Amino acid sequence: MADDEQEDQKEYRWETGYEKTWEAIKDDEDGMLDGAIAEIIQKAKRQRQAQKTKQNRLGMMRHMFVVLDCSESMSVPDLKPTRLRCTVKLLELFIEEFFDQNPISQLGLIALKAKRAEKVTELTGTSRVHLKALESLANVSLTSEPSLQNGLDLALKSLKVVPSHASREIVIIMGSLTTCDPVDINLTIDELKKEGIRCSVISLSAEIHVARYLTQQTMGTFGAVLDDAHFRDQLMSQVDPPPAAKTQHNSLIRMGFPHTKNEVEGKDAPLSMCMCHIENLEEPSELTTTGHHCPQCNSKYCELPVECQSCGLTLVSAPHLARSYHHLFPVPNFEELPFEAMPASSSDFTSDVRECYGCAKALGQGVDKVADKVVFRCGFCKQFFCVDCDIFIHDTLHACVGCNTIPGVDGLVYQQSSKSDQVDAHPGPSKQRGQFAM
Amino acid sequence: MEADQSASKEAESCIDLLVIVLDTNPSQHFVRQNPQNLTQILEAVIAFGNAHLMQKAQNKLAVVSCSHHATNFLYPLPRRQVELRQMDGQYEAFNLVEKTVKQQLGSILMNAPRLSAPCESLLAGSMSMALCYISRLQRNLAPGVKMHSRILVLTGSNECASQYMTFMNVFFTAQKLGITIDTCALDKTLSLLQQGCDITSGQFLKVTQLDGLLQYLLWVFLPAPQIRHKLVLPPPPKVDYRASCFCHRELIDIGYVCSVCLSVFCKYSPICTTCHTIFKNPGPLPIKGKKKKKTDKQM
Repeated sequence: MADDEQEDQKEYRWETGYEKTWEAIKDDEDGMLDGAIAEIIQKAKRQRQAQKTKQNRLGMMRHMFVVLDCSESMSVPDLKPTRLRCTVKLLELFIEEFFDQNPISQLGLIALKAKRAEKVTELTGTSRVHLKALESLANVSLTSEPSLQNGLDLALKSLKVVPSHASREIVIIMGSLTTCDPVDINLTIDELKKEGIRCSVISLSAEIHVARYLTQQTMGTFGAVLDDAHFRDQLMSQVDPPPAAKTQHNSLIRMGFPHTKNEVEGKDAPLSMCMCHIENLEEPSELTTTGHHCPQCNSKYCELPVECQSCGLTLVSAPHLARSYHHLFPVPNFEELPFEAMPASSSDFTSDVRECYGCAKALGQGVDKVADKVVFRCGFCKQFFCVDCDIFIHDTLHACVGCNTIPGVDGLVYQQSSKSDQVDAHPGPSKQRGQFAM
Repeated sequence: MEADQSASKEAESCIDLLVIVLDTNPSQHFVRQNPQNLTQILEAVIAFGNAHLMQKAQNKLAVVSCSHHATNFLYPLPRRQVELRQMDGQYEAFNLVEKTVKQQLGSILMNAPRLSAPCESLLAGSMSMALCYISRLQRNLAPGVKMHSRILVLTGSNECASQYMTFMNVFFTAQKLGITIDTCALDKTLSLLQQGCDITSGQFLKVTQLDGLLQYLLWVFLPAPQIRHKLVLPPPPKVDYRASCFCHRELIDIGYVCSVCLSVFCKYSPICTTCHTIFKNPGPLPIKGKKKKKTDKQM
């Protein structure tokens, strides 16, 4: 529903013509509905993938505040078991996924409780802190109304001091239909717009004008959820980095690449404590010989990425940077072809068996006959894949199996060819690929 | 007693999948030295695969060969069953593994184009194919059945920087899916695969004597990752996660990262050579860098 609205802002679902939704489902020759249903499921599977548009410049270093409504309306049981419980569960997934996909980004949590805004967690780069805080949020007492403005102001205050090269975002999860604000909220919206902070709203009840206006002004997205599955999709779409904001300044950032000191002159490194747990009373720092030492001030950390507490240097490891590259070099979408277009594999003696290049599944046989009606072909290596591999390659693996196993088809050649028409594009990954070569 | 029973039941409903990625590229150093070595390695791999199958009836095995021209599945081949007869009372499944792998590898090597110059093995691609296979089996599992998967890479090739991105994508995917990557290096120490083993908490081992390969395999790689912490295994090697800069290809401790494309540079420059972004405020930064460098030296 929300997607329709984005395409045409003025037209609401109820303003469009009468839809005969049941006509989309047709029974096949045997009078079965399986075929039609399988097709619908398959389409839904690929939808998210197709929506991904290629971006040239992304806000890779993200600073995001998640503003969570903790007012009375969150106790409504339309999402099971309650709106709050459902949200907390989904947020756990979201936080894991967010840090998995954006390792050098930071996240913070703000709760809107009884017309006040309360910062639950500061901006940090480790998921553990947030997950712990979320646990405590699940049992919070839900009273009164939320204040959208107070929440935005609090997030704005923290995001203002974030360096200008970072992408700054606020994601608001609203259960309430109303907001109780101290002054005119438009002032806050103007301020956010000026700062270039992207605000997105996910409403658990219905579309709210002021929320929609906020997202339009700040280039964010707005969504009203239908059910928990739709809610999940809406939330997960925030995991991918957004296009870089115009106000975002580009700069070179100093970063440290710590290396573990296991041995010093043949001996084991001395026992030392890590800085990340030194002030943590619940989990006190342990004496260990391993750890990551800041190359600048030599303080030790047990986990990366982290910002050095004593000298402020951002400490990362090379794989952390590499983890973000797939956002910049996505695998191009495969071509959808009917099953008949696929040639039988030539290496085979029984020539009528066709198999998926990735998972070696024999296609068009057995129970999956319907799902295999369409196959997918990579435009570069010309190999055929089943629908599941297509999704796996684009959503998880981020590398085409065919292009990377057949010599001559340079695995990453498409990045060069597809980007060459853009002036600002990367001149080619060949340089970047060798970046961490050792 | 009851706890024992439930534990054994749990173990029964759990499948251990082992995917062996075998580098069969003829330009590997030890193959060029003596082609017999490849046969010897193949025998060891087959015996090792059978040993894995022998541990539990539910265990599964897959073998992928990575040659200079293509990557193929050696086992299992669902479409073409090798004729099977019981030999000397040997369990048929073992015989099947041996026959299928040898036959398939033979036909691949026979049909391979002649190698004019040594070329790299596309190991990262082969591993990504193994991941596709694992994810398919994972999807098709019956409800209530658990599967632990791992990938064992056997190679004597050099690793190549051009596959860096694919390697990293493979490692992160494996980490996400809970797949352990083990590496048995037959010739040289491989720093990229070392990183992969470290990321997915697998074992890395460099074999010093090819003759003892099977012993190494049975000792280090046969136990499932879940019970490895109870065994005395080679200590993890020191993995260097430092980045090397774009401009001079040198390993650096402190560098500058472009906020748009994440390229790494060892010195401040006003323009990114990768994405041609022009950077703001070049003023105070270089001075800062100098200062920091001094403190660096002092340490």
